[in-house]
Amino acid sequence: MLNYIARRLINMVVLLVVVSFVGFFIIQLPPGSILDVQLQRFRQMSGDISREQVRALEERYGVNDPFMTKYWKWISRSVQGDFGTSFETDQSVGDRIWGRLGFSVSLSTFALLFTWLVSIPIGVYSATHRYTVPDYIITFIQFVGLAIPGFLLALVLLIIATRLFNHQVGRLFSPEFIDAPWSFARVVDMAKHVWIAVLVLAMGATAGLTRIMRANLLDVLNMQYVQTARAKGLDEVVVIWKHAVRNAIQPLVMALGTLLPALIVGETLVAQVLSLPTIGPMYLSALRSQDMYLAGTILVILSALLLIGNLIGDLLLAWVDPRVRLD
Amino acid sequence: MTVHPSAASIASTDDVICVEDLKVSFYTDLGIVRALNGVSFNIPRGKVLGVVGESGCGKSITGLSIMQLVHGAGRTEGGRILFREFADRDPVDILTFGKNSSEMRAIRGNNISMIFQEPMSSLNPCYSVGNQIEEAILLHQTDDKLEAARRAIEILTKVGMPNPDRIAKSYPHELSGGMRQRAMIAMALSCNPTLLIADEPTTALDVTTEANILDLMRGLQSEIGTSIMFITHNMGVVAQMCDEVAVMYLGRVVERATVDDIFYDPKHPYTIALLQSIPRLGRSKGRLASIEGTVPDPYSRVEGCAFHLRCPAKIDGVCDVTVPEEIVVDAAKGHTVRCHLYS
Amino acid sequence: MATDATQLPTSKAAATEDVGQIPQWQLMVRRFRRSKLSVSGLYVLIVLYVFMIFSDFLAPYDHNRLDSNYAWAPPSVIGFENGQLVTYKLKQTLDQVRFEWFYEPDLSAPLPIQFFVQGYEYRFLGIIPSRLHLFGVEEGYQINIIGADKDGKDVFSRLMKGSQVSLTLGFIGVIVSVIIGSIVGTASGYFAGAVDNFIQRLIELLRSFPDVPLFLALAAALPMGVPVEVRFFLITLIIALIGWTGLAREVRGKVMSYRASDYTAAAVAAGASHWHIITRHLIPNSLSHIIVVGTLAIPGAIGSETALSYLGLGILPPAVSWGVMLRDAQTIEAITSYPWMLIPVGVLIITVLSFYLLGDGVRDAVDPYA
Ligand SMILES: Nc1ncnc2c1ncn2[C@@H]1O[C@H](COP(=O)(O)OP(=O)(O)OP(=O)(O)O)[C@@H](O)[C@H]1O
Ligand SMILES: [Mg+2]
Repeated sequence: MLNYIARRLINMVVLLVVVSFVGFFIIQLPPGSILDVQLQRFRQMSGDISREQVRALEERYGVNDPFMTKYWKWISRSVQGDFGTSFETDQSVGDRIWGRLGFSVSLSTFALLFTWLVSIPIGVYSATHRYTVPDYIITFIQFVGLAIPGFLLALVLLIIATRLFNHQVGRLFSPEFIDAPWSFARVVDMAKHVWIAVLVLAMGATAGLTRIMRANLLDVLNMQYVQTARAKGLDEVVVIWKHAVRNAIQPLVMALGTLLPALIVGETLVAQVLSLPTIGPMYLSALRSQDMYLAGTILVILSALLLIGNLIGDLLLAWVDPRVRLD
Repeated sequence: MTVHPSAASIASTDDVICVEDLKVSFYTDLGIVRALNGVSFNIPRGKVLGVVGESGCGKSITGLSIMQLVHGAGRTEGGRILFREFADRDPVDILTFGKNSSEMRAIRGNNISMIFQEPMSSLNPCYSVGNQIEEAILLHQTDDKLEAARRAIEILTKVGMPNPDRIAKSYPHELSGGMRQRAMIAMALSCNPTLLIADEPTTALDVTTEANILDLMRGLQSEIGTSIMFITHNMGVVAQMCDEVAVMYLGRVVERATVDDIFYDPKHPYTIALLQSIPRLGRSKGRLASIEGTVPDPYSRVEGCAFHLRCPAKIDGVCDVTVPEEIVVDAAKGHTVRCHLYS
Repeated sequence: MATDATQLPTSKAAATEDVGQIPQWQLMVRRFRRSKLSVSGLYVLIVLYVFMIFSDFLAPYDHNRLDSNYAWAPPSVIGFENGQLVTYKLKQTLDQVRFEWFYEPDLSAPLPIQFFVQGYEYRFLGIIPSRLHLFGVEEGYQINIIGADKDGKDVFSRLMKGSQVSLTLGFIGVIVSVIIGSIVGTASGYFAGAVDNFIQRLIELLRSFPDVPLFLALAAALPMGVPVEVRFFLITLIIALIGWTGLAREVRGKVMSYRASDYTAAAVAAGASHWHIITRHLIPNSLSHIIVVGTLAIPGAIGSETALSYLGLGILPPAVSWGVMLRDAQTIEAITSYPWMLIPVGVLIITVLSFYLLGDGVRDAVDPYA
């Protein structure tokens, strides 16, 4: 087991190196750099800057370095925990990322919990009532949930919340709580602000997982061991929840590994609409403004999250299903 | 001459199960499948009844109907299934209980239990073997977990498991097919049922394992005195295991007799054809006789006797028009047949 | 007697043969038809694609035609006067308080709707040049059956033009990705050994990228100043590139199991070539699965295109796609004051929904137990 985890971790490091290389290559592809944007802004504000100044800046950010040098500078510093200085804000990349990432992860975890709590019972209901009117209705709602773009739903909920309930959503905290220390009241305040985001984020995933749960359970219900369980004299509720769901849930457990990272990046649009300080919009603006160090770092971190998520998914699966062996 | 056992006539004989005119249909995309078209038979207490017939004739559905386990598109559309737990009790009609009613659940696994054809998939892969056997014991027999665990190991020993303590802790995928079938038998017998329905319990196993399992079942049967409904394709197994035989064709019992009468004095042309298709050791040279034609499409309905399309002794104008009634050939031995040749 | 064990001669094979009298595909069609939701999805898609084919003919105006007299004009009022369909000239007034244009149809000034009029030039199906349009009004006025946007561009015309991108890009992307996935998966499963190893490493690497960020990074790396056709092509490639790995893995698994099966062995023994075995045995066996995966992937791909265009990384103005139109609908102002801007969003939702329903029905029909 420990052996297995160690091997997976080593493999993960190798993959991350390749990912960082390829990712960085793609990100620095477009011509120009953030420096051009920066210089232009500079010129507008304070008129001219001398050639020497420009050169000094170029030197500092290494914009004219060959690709390998840029990559090496970035990766060697990153490994030491120094993610460099963002072009755009002159702020340490590390500080900016961690704060947002923490928020992204907690938001997505809430969304994930919501997804699970909702999709398992609904999937079970839908499968055990196949081809009945409620099943059709649930199916239809699921597909509508998959089809509505998240940001649009966010926008609509935002309007409803502000118009009907006079409820301030968007952002994280009410003004009085922004700098307050953590307390119960602050958590409640945060919950009031992020519920829309959690709901919207969870919507697509919930719809998808409900479908999967329904399909798996239908599969499992055809299995002989479900009949065996019934033949023992177990109540149908026990047959379903103890014997069938336990077997149908495995793909959902595996999905856990991919879903969390997917939710973390899936919120980009939603976060923009709701002006939430998460990692998605930050990545997007870094890409847009050619802030390659920031964008590259975020990409690698997200990739690491994905790989760790997969590992956790596999470990959970082995825990849930005795047939799965880790080797 | 026709026999329609009424409740009164059952009271005189001691049958564990008496199925009367059972009808089950499946409503599928492709049409209605009339799986059982009026099945009647009885299982005497302490005896082994073999149920034989070609694939699709409704053997499994009959077994599942007794357990009220026909699910999905299947509907029971008529008939009675009278079950008598003890000789001195009045029979109850199982079909009057709801599928998931507490009465039915009290019978399932406790008074009537069932073993399925596929040992590979009939145990839940997520729970240990011991756990799955204990589940039945805890449900019907005792609330004491330690006691249940003790009994589970006891019954595993009884079915000849080599290392019952270890087996109880292992998961189904760690066992071979034969071991799994033993575990299933252990589970089925864990509550000392009055009736055991064994649906082709050895079809998926190799010949040596099959022989071992059959020995085991026969031994346990005489020891515990459980009645068995033994569903099989295999006439050899019938000869070895059964006291009485019911031959089924397309959702009906066409002949019902003691095992000796079936082998030495078969009446129905279908039974005769079935017996001719068995290879004999001494006669291995010649071609095997097989039954002409195939079973008709399950979605269509055959007029008259269902077998007349393939029957060598068909009487034109009779067999293809009216369904033959059940004829008593030998009342003493309970030999009945559904064929116009004997009316 | 136990060694004498025999099965009845006409057993399982006979029973399956009887059901097999109905061809497999007919069974699938029957099962598909049972799902009313999926069938309606199919019909809706047929209508949408017919509209797309005739989009230039149906659209009265070029999708970039500006008219400041019609900025934020609401959907035209249609009436029936003197035996013909008419709309009305608009009275444009400025709301002094909210500082918004305010429109009212001038019911005394009807504008007859003309049919089969000459308008902007386009190529029907990309080939036949034409100027014919289904309807229009007198030059100098506009008919906006579902309103106009902030520059007075006709939303309906944009919706029609946008369908040419939105209904095709994701679709083609999925087709390309399915083709890559099937070929690579088959090769990987069939040749095994070093080929398989290399392909599996490649897939593992691609799957180590979180897909949305990779997608965004690739899109951001696309050159900006290229014609819309080139961008269309490149975005299609990105969609295909990201989507194929999952299918390749599944196909590989299937191919490996078929490869081990008897009839493949028989074909090899009979001296069949690799090509023959792959095209005659392996691909047909995975085909139903490939079709199911493909159908289910289309709505996601359409969503990807719209999301990219919405973010300004996909199709860029002056070209138009539904994603570009989403940008105009994304403000609270648009939703509350100019709700017709949401009509394209509605059409997008219906499209994606129909594809999901279709895919679900296809899956159930092809593979009833999944
Ligand atoms: N779930 C179902 N849906 C539709 N038809 C069914 C279903 N289950 C059984 N049937 C039909 O009922 C008939 C009897 O089936 P049954 O399983 O009892 O046959 P069997 O005699 O046990 O055959 P085998 O020897 O193959 O096990 C068959 O014709 C079959 O087509
Ligand atoms: Mg059967």
